[in-house]
This record gives sequence, structure tokens and C-alpha cells, in this order.
Amino acid sequence: MASSSLDLTPLKDAVSSRSYDKIADICDELRLQVASQGISYVDEWPYAIHLLGYMLVQDMNSARFLWKCIPNSIKEGQPELVAVWAIGQRLWTRDYAGVYEAFHGFDWSPDIQALVSTLTGMFQRYRNRIFQLLLNAYSTISVADTARFLGLSEDDATKYALKHGWTTDPTLQMLTVKKMPVVSEQKLDPGKLQSLTEYVFHLEH
Amino acid sequence: MDSVESLITHIQGLSGCPEDVSHLHSLLKQEEDSLQSQGSRLGSFLHLLDPSKHSLGYLYFLEAHTSGSVVKEEASGFLNIVANFINACSAEQIQVAPDKFVSICKRFKEQVMQLQVPIQGIAPLLVAIRKLQPSPEHLTALHPDFLLLCLLAKCYKAGLSILDDDISEIDQPKDFFLYCYYGGMIYIGLKRFHKALEFLRHATTSPMPAIHAVAVEAYKKYILVSLIQNGQLPNFPKYTSSAAQRYLKLYSQPYVDLASSYGTGKISELQSCFNSNVEKFKNDNNVGLVKQVLSSLYKRNIQRLTQTYLTLSLQDIANTVELEDAKQAEMHVLQMIQDGEIFATINQKDGMVSFHEDPEQYKTCEMIQHLDSSIARIMGISKKLKAVEESIACDPSYVTKAGRERTRLDFDDFDSVPQKFLV
Repeated sequence: MASSSLDLTPLKDAVSSRSYDKIADICDELRLQVASQGISYVDEWPYAIHLLGYMLVQDMNSARFLWKCIPNSIKEGQPELVAVWAIGQRLWTRDYAGVYEAFHGFDWSPDIQALVSTLTGMFQRYRNRIFQLLLNAYSTISVADTARFLGLSEDDATKYALKHGWTTDPTLQMLTVKKMPVVSEQKLDPGKLQSLTEYVFHLEH
Repeated sequence: MDSVESLITHIQGLSGCPEDVSHLHSLLKQEEDSLQSQGSRLGSFLHLLDPSKHSLGYLYFLEAHTSGSVVKEEASGFLNIVANFINACSAEQIQVAPDKFVSICKRFKEQVMQLQVPIQGIAPLLVAIRKLQPSPEHLTALHPDFLLLCLLAKCYKAGLSILDDDISEIDQPKDFFLYCYYGGMIYIGLKRFHKALEFLRHATTSPMPAIHAVAVEAYKKYILVSLIQNGQLPNFPKYTSSAAQRYLKLYSQPYVDLASSYGTGKISELQSCFNSNVEKFKNDNNVGLVKQVLSSLYKRNIQRLTQTYLTLSLQDIANTVELEDAKQAEMHVLQMIQDGEIFATINQKDGMVSFHEDPEQYKTCEMIQHLDSSIARIMGISKKLKAVEESIACDPSYVTKAGRERTRLDFDDFDSVPQKFLV
């Protein structure tokens, strides 16, 4: 990320410390501040990282709006930016398998190290999230579909599923999902008594 | 001329404490015409004033200096000066002359829009609003301008910082209508349709002696968002003005028609209504929203199935809802599960979907916290309402009217109304 007049230190710190969730907010704040000073920032703004920041917190609305603001000249000059957006588009249209294809379909150069490490972080999360979705939504699902959803080969997908306690039917090429019980906190603390007293007082007056 | 220099000295001397500042304010008001007539000269004096210490004086000078049209070459300089002033100024001092402050900020917004850099105005206007407001519950004339810039710059999230405040003090109805309309649009952009509905409802049902363009446009969007969120268009609440009830539907006929065809539940009917009115939707810039209405009908129809069936085959879903094939139906159901719009499990082996009840038992800590904060908020509003009721009960015009009515009703109630109010 070359920057001459832009001070992008908070962003660089967030990326290097892997505070992925903060990237979007930091970028938003910085961009508004820089713009308000009348600095011409458009040519040097790290749009690719900004977009990734949104994708990391699943804020596809903001990602779409940001993409619309980027001038065509910038889009034409930065193939990595276009490649990042290709991933974003598939996230938006919920082309579950296409997300992995878009990631692997681009030759990410090691120069863009910061970008690639953010991307890899994003992918692990994405795969976990999709696995949770499958867990929630399916009782049985074909091996082929599981592989597409997880962006793995059919063998790797089966191994992944078995590791999580799913069972497999080789003849039908079907996986049976093992549901995990949802644990949620139900403890009440004594502070609630105070609130309850206030509510009753309010209702009676 | 001497008066400008002496004014500078006054400003430098009288900006220390509130009493001095209000004395300074009267001096400045007296010299206002003279300042306005010398506007172009004043620029060279600005550096003698400190925007943070001498905010009121700086404000008067800056406002007089920039009251003419801004020349293109000086535009970015103008923007920088105003932005710096907004950031540096003291809130107490500028609240003494709020109209001048608003006027400078509005000029700032005009310039930013003319130069087509709306994003440049967002951060300064937010600061300006916070300094102008006596409290976060006050609506200022700058609220709608700020939201407009957020919309133009497509920085929708930035708008949330003021939209999250509960407004209860309003000076100008016009500001409120625009605030609700733009706020509704921002929430639509963020796909928070529940909040969008609330804001658009305010824009259409707030008191208005005659309807106006903002209410009409808001109503059009209100119809569309109602369909997306609730699948139907509700009747006007009782408190809607009669002008609104009579004319709003008249001016939004294509949208009312869309709502009727949505009510049939048939995609084909909805699609043909869309096709016949597409030009009007385009003119109103509502095509994107109408398309969301169309796709919401699929969801609504699938949701309706859960009320009748415990399990259903994917092919049956596809047929009933007019989707192409079972795979498409599966993808629709999967997305609805992902969005929490339906509780179901897909069984690919048998090609079936089982529908479940909402597993929420309202026992978790998270839910209790949610209930807590909602109750606290309602208690706060209730207290406020009581205070407003009490102050109205003391209002002379109300008491007079009540006194007039009382003589026709109950002798026993005379005590609450003083003699002089009984006509």
C-alpha cells in the first residue's frame, strides 16, 4: 500500500495484528476524515482492502456502494481490485461455490502480502460459516453439493464432514448431518431484581 | 474603516465568558448591516480571530464575507475555511447565533454539492450538528442536509450516527419531513426495512394542512417497503391528517395497483403490473425497490406454505410458488434459512423440506437484555409523555377551551378550572 500524503497507520496496524473485524470501520472513518480535509485521496485509496473489510464482517451493502463510487479508471488500472470484487459479487448473489472459484481463479502476487493474508483469514471464516449453515439447514445432503459449498474436493469434503461427526452413505453418495445442540446463556443476575422493581413501580403509577 | 478594526478588538476582548459573549452578540447585531456591506474586505481580517476562542465573532465575519456567490477558484479554499471553523468553534458561542451558523453550513453543503464531492461534507456536517444541538433529541435544520450528503456519497452507514438518536424536539416541520424521508431512504439502502417503515410512516402521517411532494414520494416508498416487510399495505392510522388520507393514494396510483396485484399472491400478475407501470417507476427512481418487492413475493409464498404443511417436496414448492425447478426451490429455501426468515430442514435424499416452529424460547440472556432495554426505553418515553401532558394542561388556550366545554357537562368538574376561564 503505497501512500504519500495519506496516513494509513491505523489501517496498517489493524491488518498486521489481524484485527479483521475492525478494518471496515477504520477505513470508513479514515476516508471521511481525509475527504473532509479536501485531500485528493481517490487515486491512492486502498479500495481492495476497504472492500475486503466489508466482506469480512458480511456487510455486502456497504461493499456494493463502495464499488459504485470507485472511478472506472481506477478499476481498469488495478486487476487485484477487480478480482477482490469478483469474490464480493459472488458473496452478494450467494453463489456459494463461486466464491471459492473466484478466489482461486486469480493469480495473487506475493507483493500484495497484506491483501492475501486478509483474504486467507476471510476464507477460513467463510468456510466455517457455510458449514454452520449446512448444519442448520440440511438433514441429508449429497457429497457433491457439500464439496461445492465448502470449496473442497469430494474426498476432502467427506473427511471434513466425518471429522464433525456426520455419517456417510457411500452407495447414495449422501451425508447425514449431525446437529449440535445450541448452548445459550440463561443465567440471571441479581441486578435484574432492581430492574424488575422499577418496572412494577412504573406500571403502578 | 475604523468600525471593522474596533469590532475585532471587541471580539478579542469580549469572548471570555457567557456575559461578555452576550454583550458581544448585541454589538455584532448592531453592526450587522455594515459587516454585510463590506463582505469582500473581511476575508483579510479573519486571521486576527481564533475560531475556537472567538467563535461568535468569527462566525459573523465569515458569514458576511461569504454571503455573495463563491467563485469557482476560491471554492476549495472556502470549503477548507468553513470545515476548519466547524471543527474548531466553541459550541456555547455558536449556539448564541444558531441561524448564522446554519446559514454558513448550508452554504457549505451547497458548495460541496456543486463541486460534486458530497463525501467531503459528511464529517464536518456531523460535527456541526453535534455542536448546534442543545441535546441529541433536538432536530436541527442541518439534519436533512447531512443525510442528503450521505445518500449522494453512498456513505449510508455514516447516516446512522444521527438516525439512531430519538428525536423529540422539532423546530421546523419541513426539516422533520425531509429528515424522515431521507432517513427512510438510508434505511432502505441498508435493507433495514423495519426502521425504514417507521421513518416513512412519520413522513406521511405527521400533521400537514395540505399534502406536499415529500409526503407523496415518501408514501410511494412506504407502499413498496410495506410490501417487502409485511406483505401488505396497512390502512392509514387514525391520526393521519385528512388531506393525507384523501390525496396520498391519488398521487401514487401505480403503487397502489402494485399492492393489489401483490395481494393476489401470483407472480405473473405482479410481473404484468410491473411491466405496465415500469416507466412511472423509472421516473420516480424506484425500480430497484420494486424489483425487491417482486422477489419478496416468492419468499412470502414459501412462508405461507409453512402455515399449511409440515413437510413438502421441493418439486411441490417449485410448482406452487412458480419457480423453475426443485433446485431453484432448494436455493430459495436455503437462503431464507440463512436469513432467519424460515425454520426448516432440507432432506436432499428424499427431496423434501420439513418446516419447524421458531425455536426461540425467549429464555436466553441476550433476549432478556433486549427486553430490558426496550422496557427502559418505553419508560423513558412514558415519562416524557406525562411531562408534555402536564404542560399542555397548564396552557391557557387549552384551559380556556376546556372551560368552555365544561359548562355543558359536569358541575362537579368546575373546581379544576379557575373562574376567569369559564366563559
